[in-house]
Amino acid sequence: MKSYAKKHYLLVLLAVITINFFLPRLMPGDPFLYLSVEEGEVAAAFSEEQIAQYKAYYGMDKPLYMQFYDYILKLLQGDLGYSIYYNTSVLEMILLRIPWTIFIVLCALFLSSFFGTLLGAISARLREKPADKFMYLFMVVFSEIPSFLLGIVFLFVLAAKLKWFPLSGGITIFAPHTSMLSYMGDLLHHAALPIITLTPAGLGNFYILARNSMLTVLSKDYINTAKAKGLKKWQILYKHALRNALPPIIARIFLSLGSLFGGAVLIENVFAYPGVGKLMREAVLKRDYVLIQGIFLTVAVTMLLMNWLADVIYKKLDPRVFR
Amino acid sequence: MKYAKLLKCIRKIPGKLRNFNIFSAYGKIGFVFVLLMVLTGIISVLFMGEAHKIPSGASLEAPGLIHPLGTDDLGIDILAQILHGAFVSIQVGFFSAMLAGIGGSTLGILAGYCGGWTDKLIMGICDVMMVIPQLPLMIVLGAFFGPSLRNIILVIVILSWSRPARIARARVLSMRQEGYIIAAKSYGAGFRHLAVKHFIPGILPIILVSIIRLISKAIRAEAGLTFLGLGDPTSKSWGVILNRSINFSGIYYTDYWKWWVMSPLTVLILLVLSISFIARDMELLFHNKGDKL
Amino acid sequence: MKSETKGTAVTIGKNVAVIFLLLLSMILGLVGCTNRPSESGEIISGDAAGNENATAEEPVIIRLAGEDVGLPNPFRHTAGGAGVSKATLLYDTLLEKDENQDIPWLAKRWEMNEDGTSFTFFLHENALWHDGEPLTAEDVVFTFNYYKEHPPVSNSLTDGKKYIVTDTKAIDDHTVEITLNSYNNTYLSKIGSVLILPKHIWENVDDPTTFDGNGATVGSGPYKMEIYNPEQGAYRFVAFEQYYGLQPAVAAIEWVPVSDEVLAFDNEEIDLVMPTADLVSRYKESDEYIVEEVPAYRNSYRLMMNMETVPELCAVDLRKAIAYAVNRQEIIEKIGRGVGLISSMGYVPSSSPWYNSDIEQYDYNPEKAKALLEGRTYSFTLLTDNSAKSTKMAELIKISLDEVGIDVTVESVESKARDNALKTGTYELLLTHAGGMGGDPDYLRGIYGEKSTTIKGWSNERVNELAKAQAIERDETNRKEMLFELQKIIADEVPMVMLYSTVTYFVYRPEKYDGWMMIRYDHNQRCDFYKLSYVVRN
Repeated sequence: MKSYAKKHYLLVLLAVITINFFLPRLMPGDPFLYLSVEEGEVAAAFSEEQIAQYKAYYGMDKPLYMQFYDYILKLLQGDLGYSIYYNTSVLEMILLRIPWTIFIVLCALFLSSFFGTLLGAISARLREKPADKFMYLFMVVFSEIPSFLLGIVFLFVLAAKLKWFPLSGGITIFAPHTSMLSYMGDLLHHAALPIITLTPAGLGNFYILARNSMLTVLSKDYINTAKAKGLKKWQILYKHALRNALPPIIARIFLSLGSLFGGAVLIENVFAYPGVGKLMREAVLKRDYVLIQGIFLTVAVTMLLMNWLADVIYKKLDPRVFR
Repeated sequence: MKYAKLLKCIRKIPGKLRNFNIFSAYGKIGFVFVLLMVLTGIISVLFMGEAHKIPSGASLEAPGLIHPLGTDDLGIDILAQILHGAFVSIQVGFFSAMLAGIGGSTLGILAGYCGGWTDKLIMGICDVMMVIPQLPLMIVLGAFFGPSLRNIILVIVILSWSRPARIARARVLSMRQEGYIIAAKSYGAGFRHLAVKHFIPGILPIILVSIIRLISKAIRAEAGLTFLGLGDPTSKSWGVILNRSINFSGIYYTDYWKWWVMSPLTVLILLVLSISFIARDMELLFHNKGDKL
Repeated sequence: MKSETKGTAVTIGKNVAVIFLLLLSMILGLVGCTNRPSESGEIISGDAAGNENATAEEPVIIRLAGEDVGLPNPFRHTAGGAGVSKATLLYDTLLEKDENQDIPWLAKRWEMNEDGTSFTFFLHENALWHDGEPLTAEDVVFTFNYYKEHPPVSNSLTDGKKYIVTDTKAIDDHTVEITLNSYNNTYLSKIGSVLILPKHIWENVDDPTTFDGNGATVGSGPYKMEIYNPEQGAYRFVAFEQYYGLQPAVAAIEWVPVSDEVLAFDNEEIDLVMPTADLVSRYKESDEYIVEEVPAYRNSYRLMMNMETVPELCAVDLRKAIAYAVNRQEIIEKIGRGVGLISSMGYVPSSSPWYNSDIEQYDYNPEKAKALLEGRTYSFTLLTDNSAKSTKMAELIKISLDEVGIDVTVESVESKARDNALKTGTYELLLTHAGGMGGDPDYLRGIYGEKSTTIKGWSNERVNELAKAQAIERDETNRKEMLFELQKIIADEVPMVMLYSTVTYFVYRPEKYDGWMMIRYDHNQRCDFYKLSYVVRN
């Protein structure tokens, strides 16, 4: 059972690597071709000879299967290659950007799982009362709104008009920070809007999950036993219900990382936040195959890992579940 | 005769829906809004001609009597664009959801019925699709296929058939254990017979819910892709209006955003919400838990 | 049994929470570490913190909008103006360009031999590299040899496929003789714009595209790099105190990312802005600002016609009809928001001293277009990129061509895909915005002359002849005659329809800094890309 799972993940990984390699190369357009110029820019032009030279340098003059072979070989050595546009090591570029993405994703995940579970528990406790109904509706509405649209609203209202938050960026550049505290404050100030935007999508899921599992647990026999024992309602909720509702929620934490990552790609572009998502879009626009591949692989592997972790943890936490 | 049960099942669905009261209040509002959008979309295509393309006023007029939602930088009426955009967005949503739903469930039934390597292969691809970060892949595919509505639908289908496939497979697997299927099989019923008589009617309700959810997903995906500048800029969908307005330099600075950004944004949110309300009600209707997007 | 599983569930749950929090704090720390300028990690520092001698005045620091354009050395900056200009501030060139001509820079003066194939440059004696080493003729010799093996990103030394420099010799410590393969009117400018490398750093570097070690940004320019932060897209250059030439005008230049330049300029976060026509009026009224209007002569929107795959387009009347039918003034009104400059159909922009005004102007004239078409109708696909501006322009062109009986379908693809179509010739009509109209009009040879691949399926004997002759013609009057005739033929033939050049507004606060040089003779770039904008000129 277990070995099958591992083999399975390995196969998926292989498929991802293959797609990852071929797809960007099949994109129309040539990274070294500069025939047009953006407004207010100066035309960059590479001569035919220069293009040929660059192609040879990046190994793009070889047949595709040879390139694939080289790619796998390099990957095994942990080498993600060299960015065509930025002339920099891809691994280096990703390592510089990924903490920013992980930072907002984890913060949003923490907020949404914590508040989602909490509100779900409260809602279950207040079942069928107006507060529960209102909360349910509110959650449904907020979790359905595409997060980048929410981000645009926040950007215009909270950042551009009210000026409560900075319009873009991850930190005030070249600002002298006297203490760690002011530095952290600046960091959070910039990250606030992306995090707030990213949170609602997950919040609804956690809320509904928590509410449903609490409701199921609350209807179980041992809760009645506990009630008969004279335990207070909140005690029951905490001691029995929440504990039993926890496994699916924890598994969900790992699973939702994937969709949060996807959401972050868009959000980062709304707020010009210096994470992987913003880099990804630039890489696509510049046809920087090597960079696209690097980012894509990093994100895919992270998600694969998270799915696997969710699997493992879920099995460990809840022996009833097996597939 | 063979298709009688299937037909009966299909006939039963509108029967269930005939009574409008089965919808909750929100479901009703959602239903009315979707209907309104479909109607305005059709009206705009049939009767308003090129109003969404031809400038009819000065650039960037504020909302007024002639242009209820103002005009954009080319002087084109924004209301006309929104109405026409409804047609485009719903078109994208509908076609990609139908294709993904039908294609996905067909593969799911095959996987569930055949088992063995067919199952492994299809589910393996499913797993890959689930793991691959969807939006980044959409960006790459979007850039790869080039921006046109057809390609965007294609990209969304490629990325969303796996969920209906899983649902269908799970259902078929559980149905295979049931007495009447085993009996039918022992009488020599072939795959076609089983599929038409039992499997499809059995999965139809859940797939329907899944398709409705896919519609909203596709609309969101199209808007997201166009927001990133990877959509079809000639299509005039809501995402395109949004993309153009946000990229208008100085948009933060002027008041234009109040009508130019906010109107496509609002209708997009309303449509997505409406569809999700309908889907939620349908789920309850068919007593179908889980499989939320 | 049941309670036991519950127990483990909770402990694991707690552990997960603890791990989660740990991770979170770690990442916060990580984000923190990579960004404090005091730590060496991400900063590639070119000998940081120069001796800041306290002066009476507060040192001026100018801030500009920026993004990541790579490590600013000749091999690793990104292609395009923002990347090139940063490298140019760090690395000196033999010559520099001002409003009218090439001026002495690292070379105090130069001499040309009889047949114009060899130049002798006399270098400044007291030029220093940022790390304190003296700059000598050896460095220049090394540079020209090194670029032959390792072409820089912005390579001016190849013409066609040939490296134009055949020999470089150091006559003494500060004199260099450079021999070229032939004479051409543009070659002196080309040699003069080469970024000179320090030999003592690069002689041991085999692969300059991956080199980011010590001294990777050491040049001899008026500024040296202090901070480069790639993920934020921020740079900080400081004045090089021991600079030999025109002194750096500010203590430091900082490039920071901004999401909306106008907003950032109003908040005084940046000191120069290029607002759109809609927003410029608010600055014109106030004394606090100076507004400069600079047409981007060098670039122009153009409508390409593929005569290779579409034989109908070979008929010059159809091409003329298209030129007359497109309402370029309307495009400027609608797309340029009222500002823009109709491009000359003879390609050479009106600002150039080589511009011939006595050619067909192709003012908007749908009647003439219809007359030329004689009732024939056509149907074409117009390929454009997917930017909002180009798509809108394509829609306008479609509307006006439809009126004269040319049915147009707009197809929009991603810009790199459009460029690819342009190169491979897989299009019928194509809309593009391209540069290459600045400086010496020898560019006509590249675009319209023999071996040109820009215009598909078009060639003209007389044009080829003239293009070749003008490049080596050393008499200016003769050359001017040739170029005037060239423009006339090109305008009559309409191999591509020139649409319009955009106009850029620059707004700055003179009180903060007013050293901007607005126009350079080659109209190459923007004022914030010119080196002379950042030095004290007399």
